[in-house]
Amino acid sequence: MALLKVQDLGMRFGGLMANWGVSFEIASGEMVGLIGPNGAGKSTLFNCIAGLYNPTHGRIHFLDQDVTGRKPYEMARMGLARTFQVYVASGDLTVLENVMVGCFLKTRSRRLAKERAGELLSSMRLSHLSDRNMANLPVAAQKRVVMATALATEPKLLLLDEVAAGLNSTEIDEMIGLIRWVNTEMGISVILIEHVMELVMNLSQRVLVLDSGTLIAEGEPEEIVRKPEVIKAYLGERYLNEHSDASSKGEPVA
Amino acid sequence: MEALRQAFDFSDFPRTDLCVAVAVAVFLFVFPALPHSSFAMATMIQFLMFSVYGMGWNTIGGYGGQVDLGKAQYVGIGAYTTAVMQIRWDLPFWVSLPIGMSLAVGWSFIIGYPLFRLRGHYFAIATIATSLILKDVFESWSFIGGARGLKIPLRAEMPDFWFLQFREDYYYYYVILAFFFVGLIYLNWFRQSRIGMQLRCIKDNEEMARSLGIDSHWAKIKAYAVATAFVAAVGSFHACYNFNIEPEDVMSLDLSVLIALMAMLGGAGSLWGPIIGAAILVPMKNYLGAWFGAKAGLIGLDLIIYSTIIMAIAAFEPRGIWGIVTRIRQSRSD
Ligand SMILES: Nc1ncnc2c1ncn2[C@@H]1O[C@H](COP(=O)(O)OP(=O)(O)OP(=O)(O)O)[C@@H](O)[C@H]1O
Ligand SMILES: [Mg+2]
Repeated sequence: MALLKVQDLGMRFGGLMANWGVSFEIASGEMVGLIGPNGAGKSTLFNCIAGLYNPTHGRIHFLDQDVTGRKPYEMARMGLARTFQVYVASGDLTVLENVMVGCFLKTRSRRLAKERAGELLSSMRLSHLSDRNMANLPVAAQKRVVMATALATEPKLLLLDEVAAGLNSTEIDEMIGLIRWVNTEMGISVILIEHVMELVMNLSQRVLVLDSGTLIAEGEPEEIVRKPEVIKAYLGERYLNEHSDASSKGEPVA
Repeated sequence: MEALRQAFDFSDFPRTDLCVAVAVAVFLFVFPALPHSSFAMATMIQFLMFSVYGMGWNTIGGYGGQVDLGKAQYVGIGAYTTAVMQIRWDLPFWVSLPIGMSLAVGWSFIIGYPLFRLRGHYFAIATIATSLILKDVFESWSFIGGARGLKIPLRAEMPDFWFLQFREDYYYYYVILAFFFVGLIYLNWFRQSRIGMQLRCIKDNEEMARSLGIDSHWAKIKAYAVATAFVAAVGSFHACYNFNIEPEDVMSLDLSVLIALMAMLGGAGSLWGPIIGAAILVPMKNYLGAWFGAKAGLIGLDLIIYSTIIMAIAAFEPRGIWGIVTRIRQSRSD
């Protein structure tokens, strides 16, 4: 059964078609990578799915319901969680409080929310940050806390927008472990937008490639990095030369 | 039960806060027994009134971060409901109080719905406009006395606890002191509650809040209604305390601005902020006002002082005095 079904999706901003004719499905339990050059329309696609934008064409089905044009909070209540590519907090909440707000989607009780948030933070090894202010966290910690907050809503599908941007290689390894844990242990389906190919290659069962608003390729990670159209649009010849053993390190030249 | 425990749970405050709070509470209880002038008593009553106004404002303006400059319209609805019901139908304060609060809350839903489609400055300006429009309506509505306002007739027997008519001010003092503590306890619940934390999240990052399942539009309307209930309650009290009400003093822009200003000066989004703000600005307004008023030519100087304060807050510390205290504490603990 498809958890998410996107059909012929289009999003127009004035004269710009940020998404055009995008169709794909995500099965329950799947982990899918979404790659493509800057400005390809990846974040726009997430915003359409999450209800932040109302797509100008096409339909979106989530959990067998037509959810096209639903509000972000309605999508969240149905079991969709997301992170934002750019996240700025003005700093009114501590880490624990922020995660509690996520928990408040499923419970009204402050005591329960606090308990669950505490558990989630400790299972993500973030307990030591509980009382820190959201506004002045190191990047790596902030990315994890934002993920923890999204997970606190107990989603079925998690959309991750560049959670590895700005992380060093140790932090990237930790992030890979964390996302794998979310997928396998928590049973949450994941779509991840990422420029860090190491992460995409390591985690994705399937990769979608977006270029100029349309899907140009779809397939298993090893298969995708060899496709001429993907190399041309995004990865560049250098990527293939450096990774001819199809192992997966480094960043695209894009 | 959990809610009640939460309302009385101040455990996350540092001990110094609680010691000061207890000392202030004791002072407030015994103040009428201490030697004081009637001017000081009136100032204390006003301080308590503005504290409660500010507590209300703080739900939407502080925790929710939506700068509301139209609270006077709800003071007016509360005050007029109490006055009209007493004059026309001889209904006591304790009956008109909940009715006034309900009418105000009802009105807040009606205008809150479109108002919260607006953001930032547009929202602030629209709150001013709605308040002034309602004031205009009240000024031309003869049933409620028009621009001349209403005068509540004196009861034959005083003290009258039903109609809140007293010869001695300390009765009024204790009534508004009760409002003050109920408001404080409620707000202590509110700030820790689901809605309170959701509002703080909206203030932090509204897109993020919406992606966490929060209907931010509705959450703001609810907080606005809570703020309105506080303000309308004090409005009702104001009618009984003053006997005389007219649109110009219960619904003026000055009042709206003062309510917001006190909360912002003390510290928007903190429990103690509105109280600190009122404790500074009310005496300043009364004592300096009296002094300036006595010297012709200095009238209007208080307005200059208010605007200076607004600019200082905006430029240096949006979290007001309490923000400065928090900052000092943080730098000490680091
Ligand atoms: N709200 C908007 N209004 C107008 N144009 C927009 C809006 N959001 C995105 N766009 C445009 O749509 C195009 C796709 O942007 P999008 O952010 O989806 O790219 P992306 O694939 O996420 O890129 P990146 O890898 O840099 O994050 C860009 O040209 C962008 O300027
Ligand atoms: Mg993007």
